[in-house]
Amino acid sequence: MESLIWGYVYPNEVEIQWSILIVLYPYITGLVAGAFIASSLYHVFGKKEVKPVARFALLTALSFLLVATMPLLTHLGHPERGIEIMFTPHVTSAMSGFGYIYSFYLIVVVLEIWLSFREDIVKKAHNSKGWQELMYSALALFSYDISEKALHEDEKLAKKLAIIGIPSAAFLHGYVGFIFGGIKANPWWSTPLMPLIFLMSAIVSGIALLILLYIASMKIRKHAIDHKCLHSLAHYLWVFLIFDVTLEMLEIISMKYESLEEIDIINRLLSDKIATTFYGVQLTMGILIPFMLLLLVGIIKNRETLKMIMISISSVFVLIGVFAMRWNVVIGGQEISKSLSGTLTYVPVFFNQEGVLPAIIILIIPFIILRVVTYILPPWKDMEEEAAR
Amino acid sequence: MQPHLKKAFTLLALAIIAFIFVRSLVVPLSFGQYGWYRGDALGDIRNFPVEYAGSASCGEENCHTNIYSVWINGSHKTVNCETCHGPSGKHVNNIREMPGPVNDSRDYCGICHYKRVARPTTFPQIDPAVHGQDMQCTYCHNPHKPWFV
Repeated sequence: MESLIWGYVYPNEVEIQWSILIVLYPYITGLVAGAFIASSLYHVFGKKEVKPVARFALLTALSFLLVATMPLLTHLGHPERGIEIMFTPHVTSAMSGFGYIYSFYLIVVVLEIWLSFREDIVKKAHNSKGWQELMYSALALFSYDISEKALHEDEKLAKKLAIIGIPSAAFLHGYVGFIFGGIKANPWWSTPLMPLIFLMSAIVSGIALLILLYIASMKIRKHAIDHKCLHSLAHYLWVFLIFDVTLEMLEIISMKYESLEEIDIINRLLSDKIATTFYGVQLTMGILIPFMLLLLVGIIKNRETLKMIMISISSVFVLIGVFAMRWNVVIGGQEISKSLSGTLTYVPVFFNQEGVLPAIIILIIPFIILRVVTYILPPWKDMEEEAAR
Repeated sequence: MQPHLKKAFTLLALAIIAFIFVRSLVVPLSFGQYGWYRGDALGDIRNFPVEYAGSASCGEENCHTNIYSVWINGSHKTVNCETCHGPSGKHVNNIREMPGPVNDSRDYCGICHYKRVARPTTFPQIDPAVHGQDMQCTYCHNPHKPWFV
């Protein structure tokens, strides 16, 4: 125990309370916000190149959104009390605000999915029998009007919803950043830049996840990949990487330049406690290498397979890098003592309520949900039509 | 508005009404009476049975007078009898009802006496790995009068 502590720390800090599960919470929420914003590139900004993945992105966002609260509930000793934050919210509690923003966003995503899949749902209700007919009819709310006029109205409303959806997605994840950024006692967290940093890394991770899921699902379905769509996503990933790295660096540089009283402990944190995960994984692996690879993708002509491999590697690295970023924020912030003259060490355990095993399970669940959701509402038609063109 | 959209929004409105209804049932009536908590909680806490008797009750009425006089003059006088011996309210009222067994494990003493960087250096602290060879502290130290080894 003693070897994990350096310098002067307070007795109540010795045990690090926010474990890997709390690292997972902003990570999953970020993937949700990122996937939604990727889908809105088509739904709001009319970027036709990303149409093949637009509806798939919505389903991805929903699958991850459904488990976004799971790390928090697992972290609570009494998960059944989690709902109380919704029943008696207080204006001074950032966390209780999250409950409402989350619920609002869930409604927006479900409505958006329902509107964009309604035509398919009604057709399925007509063409299926037995329990499937009942399920699809219920999903269609027993209204089967898919006339030109009705669909046009749907589209209009879906666009409006997507316009509301972008600020709410930004708010959802910016808010997670705010929960950390608003903790004034912790110099590693307390910065008004935190919501923006979280948001940019969320968009980056969401697009990277979407790219990987798109490539994987096309490979599984043995269908050609629409390279135009893939390159377009890779392009957006590259652009948002620049915003992301700018903000992340801005925070560190201004911290170093200002050199306030906490600078010594921040330097120690960066050079000792989280040096590998910060410089190695977050910056080099998560940003620099994907940045170079995606730059090459933009330059190289033809050679689609090579470019696809480069995009896939970039996406995997980005996902790992963003996870490292969440780790560096959540764990890094707790590894410095409130005394500003000591450090602590987080040692992850495997089999424990707060352990690595539940974190892995929680990270697998959204993929299972996605499989089920894409079984009920297959988005493949868009992907395969575009590729075949 | 299209009928299917009407249905969807009705469903949404119903869900919100259901939430408000459930909330009105679940949140206790006295919530917010004094502050951001259940007002009745104060009464509930007040009605809990008193379990601790206090150290003074151990020393009076010719019960544990000897050990009491040793303890009251030692440096552990700030650690009450019931801290180690457990709540003794019932025992004071009826001597046949004995309090639970005393907690004399190393870790229990260690709550105060294991070495911690945050503790004042003048406070007696030991490194459990090297001190006392895993023996119970009370084997050498008298908890009622520390330093009386």
